[in-house]
Amino acid sequence: MSSVKSSPSLQGASGLAGALLGPITHTLHEVGGLVLFLKLILKTALTTRGNTPAILEQVLSICSRSLATVVFAGTFVGAIIVLQFNAVLLVYDAQIFLGGLNTSAIVREIGPLMITFILAGKIGAFTAAELGTMRVTEQIDAVECLGTNPVQYLVLPRFIGIVISSLILLALGIMISMLGSTFVATFLCGMNPLQYMSTITRFVGVWTLFCGAAKSLVYGLIVGGVACQKGYTARGGARGVGTAVTQAALYMSLFVILANYITSNSLNWIHDFLGAALGWVDG
Amino acid sequence: MSIRFESLSKSFGPKTVLKNVSFEVSTGEILFILGKSGMGKSVTLKHIVGVMKPDEGRVFVDGDDVTQLDDNGLADVRRKCGMVFQHPALLDSLNVYQNVSFGLRTPQYTRSLPRPLTEEEIRTKVTETLRLVNLGTDIFDRYPPEISYGMQKRVSLARTLAPGPTYLLFDEPTTGLDPITTNAVNDLIFELSRKLKVTSVVVSHDMQCALKIADRVLVLDQAGILALQTVPEIKRSREPLIRDFLAETLALLPPEERAELEAHS
Ligand SMILES: Nc1ncnc2c1ncn2[C@@H]1O[C@H](COP(=O)(O)OP(=O)(O)O)[C@@H](O)[C@H]1O
Ligand SMILES: [Mg+2]
Repeated sequence: MSSVKSSPSLQGASGLAGALLGPITHTLHEVGGLVLFLKLILKTALTTRGNTPAILEQVLSICSRSLATVVFAGTFVGAIIVLQFNAVLLVYDAQIFLGGLNTSAIVREIGPLMITFILAGKIGAFTAAELGTMRVTEQIDAVECLGTNPVQYLVLPRFIGIVISSLILLALGIMISMLGSTFVATFLCGMNPLQYMSTITRFVGVWTLFCGAAKSLVYGLIVGGVACQKGYTARGGARGVGTAVTQAALYMSLFVILANYITSNSLNWIHDFLGAALGWVDG
Repeated sequence: MSIRFESLSKSFGPKTVLKNVSFEVSTGEILFILGKSGMGKSVTLKHIVGVMKPDEGRVFVDGDDVTQLDDNGLADVRRKCGMVFQHPALLDSLNVYQNVSFGLRTPQYTRSLPRPLTEEEIRTKVTETLRLVNLGTDIFDRYPPEISYGMQKRVSLARTLAPGPTYLLFDEPTTGLDPITTNAVNDLIFELSRKLKVTSVVVSHDMQCALKIADRVLVLDQAGILALQTVPEIKRSREPLIRDFLAETLALLPPEERAELEAHS
């Protein structure tokens, strides 16, 4: 405590600064922890033998567990966005663009986010709890003592499984929500399905698909990384596992939203750069 | 040639768990580490196999400084030092057979052999070690969640014994076991050390069993060593904490031993 007597308003201000800075430094600390853990995963991936069967098993298990939810959510998300866009486009007499706008929004933004939040809620939380339990019941120590690298054996397959699955589920989710959107556009917005689909290719090209895939990849890395890190570093019994899962849930969502902002900006910048430098234009 | 701690200190955040701890385990002996819960007994064991690193100080296993070893050196230490964890720590995704044979398939073990074991040899070894802990081949295909806690602990013990370690580190091997299994496990620790000349470090809070099979007892308290004494010395100790531990066992002792203990208090 400083010996200088500060006025109440100053104290209030420093309290406010503390209240604002606390979460920021805390978040930066968490980002640092995640980056270090991703570095460990990368190092392990590069220096040890891959375990393809274990990865495939994870991908299969993750996809089959999330399939129903992705289909369900995908259908309705597509449907909702169509209705919202339709209302606005009708005002400007531009309903013809509904298919293009809607698909572009789904591929660039809503699809990746939707898949990620499903993965985070279902698989991320599960993975954090599973690895956390392994940590607090000393399974991870046991594996290490018996001569197996626990990051290679337990973490890598789960991490890679989540990343690959998020790409697969994205592709699936997008197709499902396109179907859902077409259905709603046809039956609720009174459009001819062919008319609806006619503008899709004007808005959605290779670049848009690339953006969707790039975002899903980044989000998948975040979900897999945070879930594995929180689980792997859990400690302190059942309570510790609970904390690990809660923290995983919080930071997965937080980091994905931050990453969304950063990737959107970077992708736009790259697109402009490519356009200016190479004259490349693509939706 | 044995296990030696040299001025080892370890803190977690503000909490000092071990401070300047030094001791040596002699070859072939059974050393019991006693202490209240949270006193750093498990932490002590984990330093021997290098799954925890000290803030200061060193740990030697057969003259090698565990804190400085590279991956290969560490693998050698871990092959020599079998650790039986407090939890059964079996992998739920593997059945009993796969769990017990886990350590027989890793390079840490196989590189000390002229060639990796055949499946036949692994099977024989697994069967033999399970027999040591009074389990039969009928549970090979069971998964850990399907068998009782006591069985899990014995399977876990078998998993550690299978690669034939020369040092055995037990973290509360009998906690949570019924009295009959407890006796069997204690007898097993005793036999392994007497017949196979295995050196054992046993973390426990079971004074009765310490009195029965230990050569020496190390008592941890307040981040340091309160006592490191032979069993007869422990029995005569005037330390209040040790007397408390002894008092708990009094009722369980045969009358003549009880009289001997009570004479010192
Ligand atoms: N990985 C860890 N991180 C933080 N604190 C730990 C860790 N491991 C152990 N501790 C703390 O160290 C102390 C000693 O733990 P431990 O050795 O497990 O006690 P015990 O003597 O009961 O085996 C406890 O207070 C525990 O909370
Ligand atoms: Mg313990």
